[in-house]
Amino acid sequence: MSVAIKAENLTKRYGDLVAVDHINFEVQKGEIFGFLGPNGAGKSTTTRMLIGISIPTEGTAQVMGFDIRRQSVRAKELMGIVTDVSNVYTQLTAWQNLIFTGKLYDIPKSERESRAKELLQLFGLFERRNDNVEGFSKGMRRRLCIAMALMNKSSILFLDEPTVGLDVQSSLIIRNLVKKLNSEGLTVFVTTHNMEEANQMCDRVAIINNGKIEAIDTPEMLKSAIKKLQVIEVSFVGSNGDLTSELKKIQEVTDVTKNGDKYRLNTENVPQALSNVWGFSKKKGLTINTLNTLSPTLEDVFVELTGIQPEIRPPKTQRGQD
Amino acid sequence: MELKRIFKALRVAWAIGEKDIRIYYARPGSLVFGILFPFSMFLSYIVGRNVTVAQAIPILVAQTLFFASSSIGPITIPLERRLRTFERFLSAPISLITVLVGKTLAGFIYGIAISVIPILVGVLVFNSVIVDIFALVIGLLLSAFCFAAMGLMFASIPGQHPGTVMMPMNFVRIPMLFISGVFIPISELPYWGQILSVFSPLTHTIELVKGGLGGENIFGGVLNIGILLGYLGLFLFLGIRFHIANQKKE
Ligand SMILES: Nc1ncnc2c1ncn2[C@@H]1O[C@H](COP(=O)(O)OP(=O)(O)OP(=O)(O)O)[C@@H](O)[C@H]1O
Ligand SMILES: [Mg+2]
Repeated sequence: MSVAIKAENLTKRYGDLVAVDHINFEVQKGEIFGFLGPNGAGKSTTTRMLIGISIPTEGTAQVMGFDIRRQSVRAKELMGIVTDVSNVYTQLTAWQNLIFTGKLYDIPKSERESRAKELLQLFGLFERRNDNVEGFSKGMRRRLCIAMALMNKSSILFLDEPTVGLDVQSSLIIRNLVKKLNSEGLTVFVTTHNMEEANQMCDRVAIINNGKIEAIDTPEMLKSAIKKLQVIEVSFVGSNGDLTSELKKIQEVTDVTKNGDKYRLNTENVPQALSNVWGFSKKKGLTINTLNTLSPTLEDVFVELTGIQPEIRPPKTQRGQD
Repeated sequence: MELKRIFKALRVAWAIGEKDIRIYYARPGSLVFGILFPFSMFLSYIVGRNVTVAQAIPILVAQTLFFASSSIGPITIPLERRLRTFERFLSAPISLITVLVGKTLAGFIYGIAISVIPILVGVLVFNSVIVDIFALVIGLLLSAFCFAAMGLMFASIPGQHPGTVMMPMNFVRIPMLFISGVFIPISELPYWGQILSVFSPLTHTIELVKGGLGGENIFGGVLNIGILLGYLGLFLFLGIRFHIANQKKE
């Protein structure tokens, strides 16, 4: 059995509002699966149903083979959970937080103590283990939260917006840790509204909007699905006059614009167009100086699929940093 | 197998109770509602009255027990909702009942710990004599459980501030003081008041404690214990139902 999560018509209504609308998806074991969507899309609601905080209005899901409605305790035993806010006990120390989590999962004393020590070291919190969490920074609390989620040696980790509100470095630490844990076999379900995070971390991404899944695929496939946006940027050594009209004649190139010393070629078939451009330069005796493919970003895909771009889109300069 | 599961649930419940003790016992809310409130009400009651120490000690014991045990649920649960740590319980592999039992334990221990103080003062300072240790101990244990469960039931009122739970609960707690023989001895209540007093669990706490310390007992130990047990069951049952209903709204 290789399916880690299987959601079937999972639905949540709050009064008249359908927060999650009959969604279906599968997450394979060993995957990092991303749930990408704007504010209010239903990411947290979906996560909360999967981890047992909220009860579905309709439909169900299996996590690690256990039905979340009928076998919720069995399912929860295998889950590590990081909710969208860092819900740590601020009046307890980091050590006490981990130990209490261990007790909640009924882990024997010696095991929970060695596990807590291990995790504090892994998350760079060991020196601060006896400090009250009250004085911890956002990033430290987030790391502690993830450490708490790993106390029970879960086989699947749920992360609801793990890096939101953190600085570049803290985000990076968390992403790298998650990737490391994933490479050791942990399945990860992560929600985010950060395109770059989804792009860098996830094996597959589901794009969710208004409680419905708009697309599920690998980041690269999602991007190449909107082919008309694919661009090859090329420049040649030396001045060769304006090559626009000649480049336009190349097979698979649909349009050319000149941009300073560079040409931007639009195409629906990047590999073929690349090879044609190569052939063109050979034939004309031109030396290629730079050659880039500018694929659409996940953000472009997102905008294309959801039709919304404002607020959720961080300013260009900050991309991948929040 | 069944037994193993019960032991596991008890271990986890104990861990939850212990954590609450650690975090919330010294919080201003617990101190005000659990200690300051009953003590100051007691003082304002005895000042300028002809009450002997023998009469006063059981009332003080029952009253502190009543307020202290019932305050822990209404303080911890709204705060845990606000910090969203309550969600940790919902997503842990335990049943909601385990969580509620753990929280009841915390109220129970808090109530016992505080009400033992006036007993000690009575015995050590005012030479009170414990004549019926069984009545006293059973009275304390049962009442502490009963009122902790009552607090927990009220804590199902949705809200993120202890005040949202304390206010409605005080509408019940304070009138209870009048019909339970705290401010007015039951024998001096009008007839309908005496009838009502049978239905107040606090009456039976005071009766048992009084009995234990050599005072008169009107209703008799069996009725006292029976009614307290009945309320304990009722509060636990309703509390669990209400909290489960809350989770459906999440
Ligand atoms: N307890 C609740 N009661 C009523 N409506 C709710 C509740 N929880 C969520 N909603 C609504 O459900 C919708 C989906 O919310 P959800 O929190 O799942 O979004 P999200 O994708 O996690 O957004 P964000 O990026 O802001 O975290 C929103 O319209 C929200 O207002
Ligand atoms: Mg969310």
